[in-house]
Amino acid sequence: MELRIRNVSKRYPNGVQALTDVTLTIPIGMYGLLGPNGAGKSSLMRTLATLQEPDEGSITLGEIDVLRQKDELRKTLGYLPQEFGLYPNVSAEDLLSHFAALEGITRRRLRKSTVESLLRQVNLWDVRKKRLGGYSGGMRQRFGIAVALLGNPKLLIVDEPTAGLDPVERVRFLNLLSALGEQSVVILSTHIVEDVSELCTRMAVIDRGRILLEAEPLEAVAALRGRIWRKVVDKTELPEVEAKYAVISTRLLAGRTVVHVYSLATPGPGFDSVAADLEDVYFSIMTGHFGAQTEASAVVA
Amino acid sequence: MRTWEVFRFETNVQLRRAATWLFFIGLPLLMMQLATVAYVEKARTGGFYVTAPLLMAEMTVIGSILSLLAAAAFAGDAAARDAETRLSPLLFTTPLGKSAFLAGRFLAALLLNAALAVAVQLGVFLALTSRTLEPSLSGPFRFATFAEAYLTFGLPNAFVTTACLFAAALLTRRSVTTFLVSVVLFALVVVSWQLVATRLGFWQLGQVMDPFGLTTLSNLSLTWTPAAKSVRSIPLDGTLLMNRFVWLLLSTAVLGFAAVRFGFTLAAAGAAQRGRRSRVVHADASSEAGVATVVARAAPIAPALALGHTTTISRFNVRTRLSQTGAIAWEAFRGVALSWSGLLLVALLIFLVLSWPTLMEDMGTAMLPTTEQLTRYLGSPELIWMIIPLFTVYYAGELVWRERDARVNDLTDTTPVPDGAQLAGRVLGLGLILVVLQAIRLLAGIFVQARLGYYNFEVGLYLRMLFGVQLVDYLLFAVLAVVVHVLVNQKYAGHLVVLLVYGLMRFAGSLGVEHNLAVYASDPGLAYSDMRGFDPYLGPFLWFKAYWSAWAFVLLVLAGVFAVRGREQDVRSRLRNARRRLTPRLRVAAAVAVGLVGMLGGFIFYNTNVLNAYRTTADQDAWRAEYERRYGRYKGVPQPMLNATTLRVELHPADRRAEVHGTYQLVNRTAWPIDTIHVATATLVSTSGLRFNRAATPLLRDDEYGHRSFKLAPALQPGDSVRLDFEVRFAPTGFVNGATDASVAANGTYIELRDWLPSIGYQTNRELGGVGARRQYGLATRPAVRALADTAARTNVAAGRERIALDVVVGTVAGQLAVAPGGLRRTWNEGARTYYQYATDVPIRNDVAIYSAKYIVRDAQWKNVAIQIVHHPRDTTNVDRMVRSVQASLEYFTTRFGPYPHRQLRMVEYPGRGNSLHSAPVNIAFREGFALFNPGSGATRLDFPFAVVAHEVAHQWWGNQLTPASVEGAPLLTESLAWYSAMGVVEATYGAPHLAALLAEMRSAYLVPGLRADVPLVRATDWLSVYRRGPFAMYALREYVGASLVDQALRTLLAKYGTGGREQPTALDLHRELRGVTPDSLAYLLDDLFLVNTFWDVATEAVSAERAGDGRYRVTLDVRARKVAVDSTGSEEDVSMNDFFEIGVYGRAPEHGQATPLYLRRHRVRSGTQRITVTVPEAPASVGIDPRTLLIDPNTSDNRRDVPPAAGPRSVDVLGAPQGRAR
Repeated sequence: MELRIRNVSKRYPNGVQALTDVTLTIPIGMYGLLGPNGAGKSSLMRTLATLQEPDEGSITLGEIDVLRQKDELRKTLGYLPQEFGLYPNVSAEDLLSHFAALEGITRRRLRKSTVESLLRQVNLWDVRKKRLGGYSGGMRQRFGIAVALLGNPKLLIVDEPTAGLDPVERVRFLNLLSALGEQSVVILSTHIVEDVSELCTRMAVIDRGRILLEAEPLEAVAALRGRIWRKVVDKTELPEVEAKYAVISTRLLAGRTVVHVYSLATPGPGFDSVAADLEDVYFSIMTGHFGAQTEASAVVA
Repeated sequence: MRTWEVFRFETNVQLRRAATWLFFIGLPLLMMQLATVAYVEKARTGGFYVTAPLLMAEMTVIGSILSLLAAAAFAGDAAARDAETRLSPLLFTTPLGKSAFLAGRFLAALLLNAALAVAVQLGVFLALTSRTLEPSLSGPFRFATFAEAYLTFGLPNAFVTTACLFAAALLTRRSVTTFLVSVVLFALVVVSWQLVATRLGFWQLGQVMDPFGLTTLSNLSLTWTPAAKSVRSIPLDGTLLMNRFVWLLLSTAVLGFAAVRFGFTLAAAGAAQRGRRSRVVHADASSEAGVATVVARAAPIAPALALGHTTTISRFNVRTRLSQTGAIAWEAFRGVALSWSGLLLVALLIFLVLSWPTLMEDMGTAMLPTTEQLTRYLGSPELIWMIIPLFTVYYAGELVWRERDARVNDLTDTTPVPDGAQLAGRVLGLGLILVVLQAIRLLAGIFVQARLGYYNFEVGLYLRMLFGVQLVDYLLFAVLAVVVHVLVNQKYAGHLVVLLVYGLMRFAGSLGVEHNLAVYASDPGLAYSDMRGFDPYLGPFLWFKAYWSAWAFVLLVLAGVFAVRGREQDVRSRLRNARRRLTPRLRVAAAVAVGLVGMLGGFIFYNTNVLNAYRTTADQDAWRAEYERRYGRYKGVPQPMLNATTLRVELHPADRRAEVHGTYQLVNRTAWPIDTIHVATATLVSTSGLRFNRAATPLLRDDEYGHRSFKLAPALQPGDSVRLDFEVRFAPTGFVNGATDASVAANGTYIELRDWLPSIGYQTNRELGGVGARRQYGLATRPAVRALADTAARTNVAAGRERIALDVVVGTVAGQLAVAPGGLRRTWNEGARTYYQYATDVPIRNDVAIYSAKYIVRDAQWKNVAIQIVHHPRDTTNVDRMVRSVQASLEYFTTRFGPYPHRQLRMVEYPGRGNSLHSAPVNIAFREGFALFNPGSGATRLDFPFAVVAHEVAHQWWGNQLTPASVEGAPLLTESLAWYSAMGVVEATYGAPHLAALLAEMRSAYLVPGLRADVPLVRATDWLSVYRRGPFAMYALREYVGASLVDQALRTLLAKYGTGGREQPTALDLHRELRGVTPDSLAYLLDDLFLVNTFWDVATEAVSAERAGDGRYRVTLDVRARKVAVDSTGSEEDVSMNDFFEIGVYGRAPEHGQATPLYLRRHRVRSGTQRITVTVPEAPASVGIDPRTLLIDPNTSDNRRDVPPAAGPRSVDVLGAPQGRAR
């Protein structure tokens, strides 16, 4: 079973072109969707989650036509939106039980045990009687995860899930996801490169509605081997360096600036070769030096 | 400057919203429609200009009420938008000050609302200028009228509304509370006007309480004459000024309080501290730490293991759908039930039900809390009919928007819940709320009954009324509200549209749509009676409800197909989704529903329009106009008069069928031979077999207008008589669109034969009466009632006023008792039918009703008169009282006025609510509603039903013996004299204090709001004059002239006219007889009371008392007096006087009871102020001029005054009861 997205395009009524000819094949496992804010990640996620429809293209999950058989998909769908609210004057236990009923868990006993196990899993069991209105951002996020995990989803879509989580929670959550990724398609959209590099077996980079790269993170990193160079410069030198070289990122370090440059050969004196990481991949793509238009085919192959 | 920027920005934000424009376009259109339809009609029937300032003010206030919804949106948004959009943190950290922020926002909201008030007037303006009105309606068009209405009502109301709503949103940081406060303001208007002022009679309080001033306008509307309404502007003084002042002050205070309380800080923190909830709660950094430690401490659970649990537990089948629907419904229900608005509603309902005993009193007398009364109570149209619909609209919006408002919609929309289940769940949730509300009403109702000691609970009837009848209506409306909200997909616009639709539904009739097939959820009406049950209304009711339920299903399908799910809400996406959602199964279901609509609609149409004639109000008016046009020329043509009637009435109660075979004896009482007889046949029945006992050629037969004429050969000579045989058949087929004719019912038949039997001559009562309507149909204007001076009217004996000998046989099913006027001559059985024959001993007025039901009869006797109380088995509460009242009345009236001509007197019950009675000769009809009076016992309790029965018995003299000419002042001779007579019976039976209590109760309905402009009593026809002013005038005269003299005058009047000669009496005859017994010194009083519309205004301004030795006291009063003559246009004229007034001095009242007067004598009092000194033998407690309020005084509260402690040598005060009278 895999999720196949073919030539999906979407333009909003206000004229924004959200997705342009997106084609992706997503197998079982964790899949990272990386891109800056406003790249179209959420549009794609919402489309996958049956909340909106593309103008063109097709999406299938195994036998299910995602665009036509919405109810079928929803039976195996888990979705954690980037932003959501909860009924403030209801307890976590009650609301999760309500969602369980909506998910088709009709037997009361089962519903109870499911709710219990999920609440324990997201570590909300101790506060299950508390009104959701009193929950913190992290608690709410974990509650949303519990909702998404209800009903054993075959397709789990999580949109920027780690945003509100503290480091411990984040680790827990990502572990949970990767466990789920053993049997399901799990799509994780994020703008945090680490999330992807730590967990995802495959990834895509999206910007301005286009897929710029679809690859396995390790391969992508490997493809950059020997092409990233580093130099520490003064702030005053920066414009000159930027004009001269293909700078993909700059970073302040103790008052000076560390510059990463993309180059097939050594760019010149003062530059050291560095071991590329996924971040460098991302920045190379974003600055247009690497990816779908340039050498993606070579990397993916 | 910053204020200006906030103001500018806010205004721009609002102007960019679609809803704003919707309000600004919708409201004027609505006002235009309302003004064109309702108010033009009001002016037409009321006889004043549509440009009347009062009307303009009324429309402005109605506009203020309609604007509440928009105001809620504006003010709520202005005050709470930042909290709701979570912009507050950004906003509150700018250098913008709190006062600048609040001022800017508030002024922007105020500007919009003030502009909306202008839009209201624009709508009215367009309505008045866009169509040409008949000249009598369009008065002088003055711009100032608009300006005054705007400045007095439109603008202040906009301020009050904006301030209250803004403050509410500011305090709660939620815009939705403004909707609730709007409802409260609206409720306050209705409660002030309908409950406090109209029902409870506290007009002053009601006028001040009313936030919009509608109560004041209602008061003026009742007080002013048409002429005054046309031109007078609304005086901004007195109560109105106080009202405006109080509300402006109050709303400013509320606003100020809210502004002070409003911290310019983060909403979430403040809200959390106070334990309030806000829609979406967001975390702040501090609380995060605590959670992290929890996470750290928790032992990690192997995720895969835990997840394995949930693998195959979801199932999807029909049961799943049901359970999902149930879950949504339950969630929706819980959301409402736990919200404070839900609790408020429950509290309100319980409060209203518990307040029943006070509200349901009539004339200071309690009513039995029957189940029917209690279940109907909250549906009573004038009181609180809009509470449940309003809450339905509100909750429909809340439920449709619940997920989106809480922004949990992305989570719920992606659950595997079918679209249909989502919608069904919401509707069910709302339904569940309504069911619970009804259950609460049931329990509260039973509680009220038990508390009042009424233990006949009739749970079955509760269930049928609350859950069978009312719930169906509520649910139909709930479906509509949800469907509209789903389709409109914009919360405030949704509310607006639903309310609009509700208005259209409710006022469809006045908008010209009368067919129940065209007005959502409507029906021909349903009434329950303990005698009759739901028959015969139930059948048509159910057919119509089935038809509308089918429609509701169609609407639900429509909503299900167009419902928004997911992020895309534009029309194109919704259409695209709709196509996909219309699955073959849904198509079939929709087709079935549409088919049902067609079939049920067709069946109903066949019944209402094919089997029966469908007539709109306009059709009926046209019918009346055409009748007059065709046959008006026979008005006044000499016709023979009905002299004797013989009837055989066959009733078939179970089939609602009846036949009457009748014979009239007609006598030519004119001086001319009559060769053409005009017969008017009734439209409710089919009349056949008209046959004269001499050669008669039919000249004309017009069944549509119920007119036939026959040429007699030979002509009927003066004094000669002729027989007319006829048959009348009542057999309704199918059902009608309007109210079902319930005259023949399985149990509780009541037929007023005048409506069925043929009448002789042109029927003036079929003519259109209203001045406006007559003009509309091009008929000559005529006075509504013939003038007192119209001497021709004195000899014109209209149908119903003839004296006839009656012999009637009524056949009905065995087990029922049939009743008709006269003595029961014979009873016999034929098969399963029982026959009763009644005949009169002496001729009676031709006002005959036939009754048949399973009755219990209480027999009693007064001298040679057999008294029967023929009542429904349940209604035993007042039977003894009725017997006592009838006996006391017969005793009193025969002694004073003359003999009772019959040997029987019955009171017969018939089905129906309301407590009006009708006193036909021999038989007095009373409705079930009258049997529910429950005055309780105890000497101080007013026995109102006793007085009413005495009043009805008095009609056996005043009305049935003395039958006045139908000219102005006629009801003075019937109703006023009947009340005057009843007062005597009450005094004779219960004593003077009880009569004083009755008078006080009657006066409370009379003096508020003082209707002053009127014709003199001798020309009066309105309720207030003939039921209140007339009896009081008679009573005053009795106290001044003496009871025996007044009664002697009445006896003489009766002797002259009581047997129904050719000449019928008028009020002038009454005046003449009274003048005959009045001493010349009091002649002025008689004329003031009857020939002029006179008001006296007297007051005791100061009182002092001093000891005069021998334990006596000298009391000094400063009194002010004034006499005013008011004409029918309302212009008042001061009349100088030197009239007689009672001056009374009263001692201390004993613990229970009233003080006996120490002094009560008539003094001459001049116009203006003067001093009066009297000496009394004991310490005085209170003193007054006209202390018993015998004369008509708009303000009676200042007549009496308490006496301050006496000056002079100290001595032990006399505390004991007064021992003697000064007179």
